[in-house]
Amino acid sequence: MTKEERLKKRHRAEKRFRFYGLTSIFVALLFVVILVQNIFSKGSSAFKKTVITTEVFFDQELLEIQNGASQEEIMEADFYDIMIENLIKAYPAKDREEEDELLKLFSGDAEIEIKKAFLNDNNLIGKTITLDLTASDDIDQLHKGNYPRDLPEERRRISDFQLVIYDYFVENKKISKNFNNYFFNNGDSRDPELAGIGGALVGSFYSILICLLLAFPVAVLASIYLEEFAPKNKITDFIEININNLAAVPSIVYGLLALQILLATIQLPISTPLVAGITLALMTLPRIIIPCRASLKAVPPSIREGALAVGASKFQSVFHHVVPLALPGTLSGTIIGLAQALGETAPLILIGMVAFVVDIPSSPVDPSSSLPVQVYLWSESAERGFVEKTSATIMMLLSFLIVMNFIAVYLRQKFEKRWN
Amino acid sequence: MSNIKIKSKNLNVYYGDKQALFDVNLDLNEKEVTALIGPSGCGKSTFIRCINRMNDVIDICKVTGNIEMDGMNINDKDLDVVSLRERVGMVFQKPNPFPKSIYDNISYGPKIHGKGETKSELDQIVENSLKKSALWEEVKDRLDEPGTSLSGGQQQRLCIARAISVNPEVILMDEPCSALDPIATAKIEELIDELKKTYTIVIVTHSMAQAVRVSQKTGFFHLGKLIEVGKTEKIFKNPDNKMTQDYITGRFG
Repeated sequence: MTKEERLKKRHRAEKRFRFYGLTSIFVALLFVVILVQNIFSKGSSAFKKTVITTEVFFDQELLEIQNGASQEEIMEADFYDIMIENLIKAYPAKDREEEDELLKLFSGDAEIEIKKAFLNDNNLIGKTITLDLTASDDIDQLHKGNYPRDLPEERRRISDFQLVIYDYFVENKKISKNFNNYFFNNGDSRDPELAGIGGALVGSFYSILICLLLAFPVAVLASIYLEEFAPKNKITDFIEININNLAAVPSIVYGLLALQILLATIQLPISTPLVAGITLALMTLPRIIIPCRASLKAVPPSIREGALAVGASKFQSVFHHVVPLALPGTLSGTIIGLAQALGETAPLILIGMVAFVVDIPSSPVDPSSSLPVQVYLWSESAERGFVEKTSATIMMLLSFLIVMNFIAVYLRQKFEKRWN
Repeated sequence: MSNIKIKSKNLNVYYGDKQALFDVNLDLNEKEVTALIGPSGCGKSTFIRCINRMNDVIDICKVTGNIEMDGMNINDKDLDVVSLRERVGMVFQKPNPFPKSIYDNISYGPKIHGKGETKSELDQIVENSLKKSALWEEVKDRLDEPGTSLSGGQQQRLCIARAISVNPEVILMDEPCSALDPIATAKIEELIDELKKTYTIVIVTHSMAQAVRVSQKTGFFHLGKLIEVGKTEKIFKNPDNKMTQDYITGRFG
C-alpha cells in the first residue's frame, strides 16, 4: 500500500465515522419528534373543555331559599329541580324520553355549576342568567372531533337523537370551547369531563418536597464524609461499592421495602405523599450521593492544600473552600435526582398510590395520587376523554422535568467557578 | 553565624513500602534562604512537606525521626498542626489562589486564626501582606476581583502574600517559579531576597542559577539522601562530593 492509498483510507474511515454519528443523531431525534408529536396531538385538546351556553331561570317555587341566603344555606340547598327545569328548555324536546337524552348531554356537575353561580350572586331569584355549563364527555369528544359520528348507531355512545340536538346547538352557536379549569383544579373523577390533575399535582409536590428534605441533607453529608474525611480502607470501599449498586437497584424494590417496613411494620398511612416521599428519598439517596461525590472529587487538591497551608483545619478547608466549589454540581445532581423521583411510578403503585382519590390532599398524610401514577390510572380507562387527559398529564410531567433539568444546567453554568 | 531555626535529626519518610527519605540531618538557619536541589524524585519536596506536616494529608505516608523548630518537635503526634502551619507557611509549585477575591484570599488566614478582629485591622493586614509581596501597587484598585484573574506571576505573589498574612516564622517554597516566565521569576527572586530579612525561607528549586542567586545555604539531595550541605558559594564552586559536582555541572539529573 502506498502512502497516498493509506492516507485516503484514513480519510475514508473518518468520513464513515462522521456519517454513522450523524445517522445516529438523526434516528434519535426522529424518535423524540415522533414521541412529542404523538403526545401533543393527543393531549393538547385536554386543555379546553366543551361548554353549552344555557339560560338559567332561578324560579322561587323550585327553591327553598330566599334572595340573600347565607353561604351555608346555599350549600345545603337543593338545586336539582332548578337544573332539570332549565336544562330541558335547552332544546324543544317532545317527550320524557327525549328530555332524558337531552339531560345526558350535560356533565354530572351541572347542578353544582348552577349552585356556584348562585353562590357568587345570591340575589338571582326571579332573574335569568346565561351560564356556560360543562358538556358531557361524549359531547366534548364529539365537538373536539375525536369521536366518529359516521358509525352505525348501535356502536355509538351517542344516539341519533343526541346528534340532532348537538347539531341544533352548533347551529344556534350554543356550544363552544373554554379553558379547562377543571383539568388543573379537580381531583380524579369517573367522569372524564370532570377529572383533573389537581390532586396528583399536590400529591407529587408533597412527595418531592419530603423526598428533598430527607434525601438532600443526608446525601450531601454522606458524600462529604466519604469523600473528605473517611479513612481510605476496605470498609469505605465496601460502602462505596454498595452505594453504586443501590443506585442501580430497580425502583420497584424500594416499593417493596416501603411496603414491608413503612406500611406493614411502622404502619404509616397507606397511599399518602408521606410514604411516597420517604420511599422516593431512599431511592434518590444514592443517585444524589454519586454526582455529589463526583463534584467534590473535581475540586483540585491544590485548593485543599492551599487552605491547609495557611493553617485551616481539615473541617475549615472542606467547608470554607471545597464544599462551596462543589455546590453547583451538588445542586444540579440533586435536581436531576429529584426529577427522576418525580417521574417514578413503580414504587408508588406498591405503596397504594393507585387508589382512586377524588379529594385534593390538604396535607402529606392524606391519601393522594401523583402525576405518573395518574398517567398510569387514566391510560387504563376506556373512555375517550381519558386518552387526551393521559397525554395532557404526560405533557405536564414532561414540562416539569424540562424545567427542573433546565434549572440544573443553569445552576451548574452560572455558579461553577473556574480554577486554573 | 546565624541561629539554627529548624533542625532535622535522622528523618525517615516512607510512602507505603517505599522509603522516600533516608536519615536526613539538616539544619536551617534563621532569616536565611536555604535552597534544596537535586534531580526529580530525590525527596526535596518530601523534606519540606515534613516541616509543616503537609504529609499528614497522604494516608500511606509515615514519618520517623525528629524535626525541631526552636526546640519543639514538629513530628510529635500530639502537636496541633493548625498552630504549626500558622508558624510555617507554604507556597506551592503551581499558584493555587482560592477562587475568591484578592482580598478574601489574603484575609482568610488571619480570619481563621482570629487575627484582625475588625475590618480596618484586616484591611491593614491585607495591605501589608500585599506590600511585602510587592503586589500592592498592581492590585490595590481591584481587591474585589477574583484572585484567579491575575497573571501566573501575580498569582504566585498573591500566594506568597497569603502565606505571610498570618505572620509565620518560616516560609516553605516548593519550586515557586517552575510555572512562571523569566520576568515573573526575577520578581519572585527579588521578593525572596527582601523576605529573608523577616522570615526563614526554604526553597526547593530545579534551577541551579536560582539557588545561587537567592540562597545562602544549599542542600543537595539524591535518591532520598542528603548528599551534601553547605554554604551556597562552596557547594557551587567547590563541592566536597563527586556526585554534587556532577549534578551541578549537568552531568546527570
